[in-house]
Amino acid sequence: MPEFQFDGMQDFLAMGGYAFYVWISYLFFALVVAWNLIQPRIERRKLLQLHKARMQREAGLNKQRVTEQS
Amino acid sequence: MWQWFYKLGSPRHFYDMTTAFLPWLYGITFFLLIVGLVWGLGFAPPDYQMGDNYRIIYIHVPSASIAIGGYVMMACMAAMHMIWKIKMADIVAKVTAPVGGMFCALCLFSGSFWGKPTWGTYWIWDARITSTLILLFIYVGVAALRSAYDSESSGAKAASVLTLVGVVNLPIIRYSVDWWNTLHQSASNLSLRVEGTNPPEIWIPAFFMGFALFGIFLLAVILRSRNEILVREKRTQWVQDLLDRDVQEGLQRA
Repeated sequence: MPEFQFDGMQDFLAMGGYAFYVWISYLFFALVVAWNLIQPRIERRKLLQLHKARMQREAGLNKQRVTEQS
Repeated sequence: MWQWFYKLGSPRHFYDMTTAFLPWLYGITFFLLIVGLVWGLGFAPPDYQMGDNYRIIYIHVPSASIAIGGYVMMACMAAMHMIWKIKMADIVAKVTAPVGGMFCALCLFSGSFWGKPTWGTYWIWDARITSTLILLFIYVGVAALRSAYDSESSGAKAASVLTLVGVVNLPIIRYSVDWWNTLHQSASNLSLRVEGTNPPEIWIPAFFMGFALFGIFLLAVILRSRNEILVREKRTQWVQDLLDRDVQEGLQRA
C-alpha cells in the first residue's frame, strides 16, 4: 500500500519547493477540464432557449389564428 | 457488431446511444480522475533527481497522447466523411478540432512549466516541442478553415483535406526524439521487474490519469457532437420532438 509522501498539508502544497510549477500546470489542467465539460452545457442551454422562444412564438401565433377565426 | 457500428453513423442513433452511455462515462472518468490525482500528487514517491517537480508528468504525458490520438481520430473521421459521406463522421471531426487543440495546448503548457525547473528554460526550439507546436497550429488551422466557409459542406470538405494533409506531422512528432538529438527525452522504459527503469509506483497512477483524460476527451467530443446534431438536424421531426420534450420538462442537463 503506497504511503502519503508529505508531512501534512503545508508540505503537500509546497511540493518540495516546486509549488509554482506543479500547481500552475494543474490549474491549467483544471481549466481545460472545466471548459470542456461546461462549454457544451452552455451551448445546449442556448439551443433549448432558442427552441423555447420559437415554441412560445408559434403558440402565440396559433392563439391569434384561433381568435381571428372565431 | 457491424450493425452497431453502422448505426453509430446515423445522428439519431448516435444521440440515443450516447444518452444511455453518458452517465457511465461520467462515473468511470471521475473515478479514474480522483484516484489518479490523489495517487499521483500525494502517494507516488518523489523522483530521485527531479523531486516533486516530476508530478507534472501525470498531466503532460496523457495530454500529449490525446493531442496525437485525437488527431488520428479526427483524420479517420475526415477520411470516412470524404470516402463514404457519413454525416456523423463530419460532425465528430468538426467538434474534435477545438477539443484536441486544447489538450495540445495543455501538453505544451505543462511541458513548459516542467522545462523551466529541469532544463532551465520555459521554451526551446527542440524537435519534439516545435513539432507539437505545429500540431497545435494545425488544429487551430483546421477549425479556422472550416469556419471560413459559409456553406457547411464546403467547409467540411476543405477541413477534411487539411486534416489529412496534417497527418504528415504525426510521425515527425513520434520519431522526433529518435531522429534528432535535441533536448526532449525519448520514451521511458516501463517495467515491473527490470532495475533502472521507472518503478510501478510512479507509472501506475499515470495509467489512471491517462484513462481519465481520455474519458474527459471522449465526454467533450460526445457532448459537443450532440449539440452539433441538434443544430444540423433541427428540421427533422425527431429533433423537434426531443427539443419540445426537453423544454417542457425544463431539462437543462446535457
